[in-house]
Order: sequence, then C-alpha cells, then structure tokens
Amino acid sequence: MSLRVRNLVFRYRAFELRVGGLAFEESRLTVIVGPNGAGKTTFLKCLAGLLPVPKGAIDLDGRDLVSLGEPERARRLAFVPQEHGAAFNYSVLDFVLMGRTAHLPLFASPSAEDVRIAEEALSFVGFSAYASRPHFQLSSGERRMVLIARALAQQTDLLVLDEPTTFLDPRHEAEVMDLARKLAAERRKTVVMTLHNLDLAVRSADEMVFMKNGRVVSSGRPEDVLTENLLTRVYDFPMTLFRLEGRTFVLR
Amino acid sequence: MAARRKRFLTAFLLVLPFAVFLASLHVGTSQISPGLLFKTLLSPLFPSWKAAIPPSTFDIVFAIRLPRLLLALAVGAALAVSGASLQSLFKNPLVNEYILGISSGAAFGASLSFVVFGSRVPPQISSFAFAVLAVVLVLAISRRSDSPVVSVLLTGVIVSAFFSALLSLVEYFASPYSLQALFFWLMGNLWKSGWADLAVSLPLIAAGLAVLLFMRWRFNVLSMSDEEARSLGVRLRREKLVVLVTTTIITAAATSVAGIIGWIGLIVPHLVRMIIGVDNRRVLPLSAALGATVLIVADDIARSLAAFEVPVGIFTSLIGIPLFIVLLRKAGKVWR
Repeated sequence: MSLRVRNLVFRYRAFELRVGGLAFEESRLTVIVGPNGAGKTTFLKCLAGLLPVPKGAIDLDGRDLVSLGEPERARRLAFVPQEHGAAFNYSVLDFVLMGRTAHLPLFASPSAEDVRIAEEALSFVGFSAYASRPHFQLSSGERRMVLIARALAQQTDLLVLDEPTTFLDPRHEAEVMDLARKLAAERRKTVVMTLHNLDLAVRSADEMVFMKNGRVVSSGRPEDVLTENLLTRVYDFPMTLFRLEGRTFVLR
Repeated sequence: MAARRKRFLTAFLLVLPFAVFLASLHVGTSQISPGLLFKTLLSPLFPSWKAAIPPSTFDIVFAIRLPRLLLALAVGAALAVSGASLQSLFKNPLVNEYILGISSGAAFGASLSFVVFGSRVPPQISSFAFAVLAVVLVLAISRRSDSPVVSVLLTGVIVSAFFSALLSLVEYFASPYSLQALFFWLMGNLWKSGWADLAVSLPLIAAGLAVLLFMRWRFNVLSMSDEEARSLGVRLRREKLVVLVTTTIITAAATSVAGIIGWIGLIVPHLVRMIIGVDNRRVLPLSAALGATVLIVADDIARSLAAFEVPVGIFTSLIGIPLFIVLLRKAGKVWR
C-alpha cells in the first residue's frame, strides 16, 4: 500500500509545514531526519490523520486521507507515538489488544481471534513472556516494543513511528531498527519513521527525507543524496561523513 | 492460580447484590419469617397461596420493601458505573459521577420544587431537568477549547458553583418547613420510594447501564490519551458524547429519586480495581454489582439503626470517606 503526499500545507501559529511530491512505497523503510523544530513530528501526525490536513493533500492507497473515517484509516495506517498516554495500569496483553479497536464495533469486546492476533504481535516483537505484566513496570525500551506490538495488532499495511529510538540504549535501539527493517522486508509493510541518530538512519533507511523549517530539503536513497554539504546545510552545523569498511558514519 | 482466583472473585461479586437483596427483604421493623416471605413473593404466581398471607405482610413486601430495594439496587449500580465510566473517559481516577454539575443542578432543581413550586412540580422532575441542564451548560461552555478534558472538568466545577449559589439563594428565602424537606432530600435517601418512582427511573437506568456495559471494553481505549485513542480508530467526538449523555441520564435519574448519595461512584470503582485489576471489561460490571450491594447494605443500616429513618447518604459518606483515605495510600499500584 502506498502513501502519497501531494501538496500538504499545515499551519500552526507562525509555523508552516509545506510538503509536496513525496511518496512512500511498499516494502520500503523511509527515515525522516532534520533538526529540532523542523516539523518532523507534525508531518508524521499529518500523515497519521491526527492533525487536520486539506482535502487532496495526502493519498492513502488511492483514497484521500480526509475522506477516511477514523476506523477506516486506523485499519490502513498505524501510528506509534513516542510515549503512551495510559492513566491506568493495564496488563501488556490488554494494552496490545487495544490495537484491535478499529476492527471492533462500539459495543463489542475482543474475540478469541483478536486475542490471538494480539499475542502474535507480542511474539513478533519477542515479548510473549510479558503478556500478563502490568505495563507501568516496563522500562522505556520495553514500552516502545509494546507500543510497536500494539501497532502490529492493528494489522495495517502502513506503519508510522515517531522517533522510536529516543531514550533507548544501543541494544534496544538496534532491536527496534531490526524490527522495523524486518517489517518492511518480510511483511512488505510501508514503514515511515523519524530519527535523530543519523548513523542509525543511514544504516537502516531505504529512503531518507531531510527536513528543515517545515520544508523537505532533499529526499532519496541515502547513497544518492547523502553529502556533507547537505547535512551541514540541514543542521546549520558542520558535519563530516566518514566511510569505513563499506559503512558510512556521520561525525561532528 | 491467579486467574482462577480472579474468576472466583468475579463470580462472587456478581452474585453478591442478589444475595444481599434477598436478605434485605427481612430488614425492617416488622418481622416476617423466611417461609412467609418466600410465599408472599411468589403469591402473584400462585393465587391460592394468597389466603394464607396477611394483607399487611403483602403490602409491606410489595408496596414498601420491594420497590425500595429495587431502587437501591438500580441507584447503587447507576452511580458506580457512571463513576467508573467517567474516570476512564477523563483518564482521571479521582473524577466522580457528579463532576459535570449533576449534583448541584439536581439540588437546585429540587429546591425549586420544595420551596418555589410547592407540590405542583414534583422534585423528581425538576431535579432531573436541572441536572441535565447543568451538564448541557458544561458541555456547551467548554466546547470551544484547545484542551477538551481539562476544560470540561474546570467548567464542571464552575457550573456546579453557580448552581450552588442559586441553591443558597432559594434556601435563604425558604420557609423552615420547606427547608427541612429540602435538606432531607439533599442528604440522599430512599425513604419515599414507591412504584411511581421506579416506573420512570428504572427503565432509564436499565437502558443506560446496558449501553455502558456493552461498550465496557471500549473504555480501555477511551482511557488512553485523546490522540492515541483517535490513532487507534476511535471516533472520539461521537463516542465521548455517547458516554457523557448516557452517564448523565442514569446519574440524573438516580439522583432525582434518591437525592445526592455521595462517594459511591468514586469508591466502588476503586475497590473493584484493587480487587480485580483495571481492565474495564471487569471493572464496569463489577462496579454495578458492588455499587448495588453497597447501597442496599447502607440503606439497611439507615432504616434499622434507629427507630426513625436516617438519610442513607450520610452513611455512604461516613463509610466512604475513611475508606477513600485508606485507598489513596495504596493507590500507586492501580494508576500513576
């Protein structure tokens, strides 16, 4: 399933986000980078239908995003926030089960099949053993995995993740990125995420999008677009690319 | 093992109100033996038994105790389920069933009936009308706002204060006699309940409870942040409205016949969460069961403690507040 951005404009006070001519394709992992305040999270929330966008701005597999109701949209696209906003201490499984919301009518409770799907999502992220744990006990890295499992339980073709690796130690960071790669490569999902860690971005991304001041500065495959000049321009900060044994590192 | 214990506790709590209900048919100033009570209850089905039952016993059971207990059952369940629902909707375990101004709206409505209208408008009708009006005002005022949850709660406080001021104004001009009737109503009691009260309130409460109980799992999702709930596929505006309208109807229906009975909607859902966990698939039905049980028992105490009636609302507060202090200390396990 593809996600196309035609001519998206979103204004909030003095800030203006203006993005056009961008497409996210099936089986591809796209990483959006840029300095703080570039509008990355705002852009993601527009993609996820959480902020009001103009008609015809975003096209989700041939349908205008604006024309889709909440449940319809949530069956096609799952959004993984940086943190959850739960006020009550649900068990991990109950938490992941909430991913089934869009598939259930208002007056229904999850069926055995829904529970099976949630358990499968937990096992995909390697957290089956956590099912009955209260989720307030989890570390932030573990919570991130559970949030991803909840998005998987939504069974969507599109996954949008907001900085899924911030506050994570190197191991958890690598685990989250491996998972994202696996979802694109094995499950043919369209994966879009924002990242601050440029090394991680360069290493994992099929496509990269560079943002600054609410605009896309450049986009494409990292090997095609990534230059010291571009990075320095995007971050207003001198940066160096360093290549070693076929891998690219970004140095300050 | 833990799962088995949970199932046992769930079954026990669900049966409890019915056991307490039957036992409470015995409570009252006139002694009725279990055998006679049994016969009286079933006598409408077996007309031949009627001859053996004294007419006074028949009246006590059918005209006094049965409607009162049914009302206690319905009101207790309504208040507890309303509280549990609103706590999830507002993502705040300290919210109660009166948070949107229902109690002060109802109190002002009742004061108009007792003091201004005399008996021309019954307190049930005018308190129901003003309880609903208070919530409508809260929702209308808070509609244009960036942060819906905070602003709804804040507006609730403001509208409540306004109706309390109006209530004081009416009280100031009231005669001592009407003031006494009003105070008795405000303290919350099931004293005057008869079939006429039940005929209106019971269907409203039953229908509202059915709606909330059917959507019980949805409350898990609604208790997430608004943005998260939307991203998971919740039509937030519509579903919030369903919950607000339904809880308002059942709380107003309960308050209009029973007066203001405090603390049930706050304490009962808490107790349930401590016993069985926070999953609303269990919290809502068990809140209904425990709320009904608590109010039936409190009303038993209210009508048997002294030779005269003590308003039951006093007992729910007297028991509820110390219990709440204890619960607050243990609260960390359930919410943060």
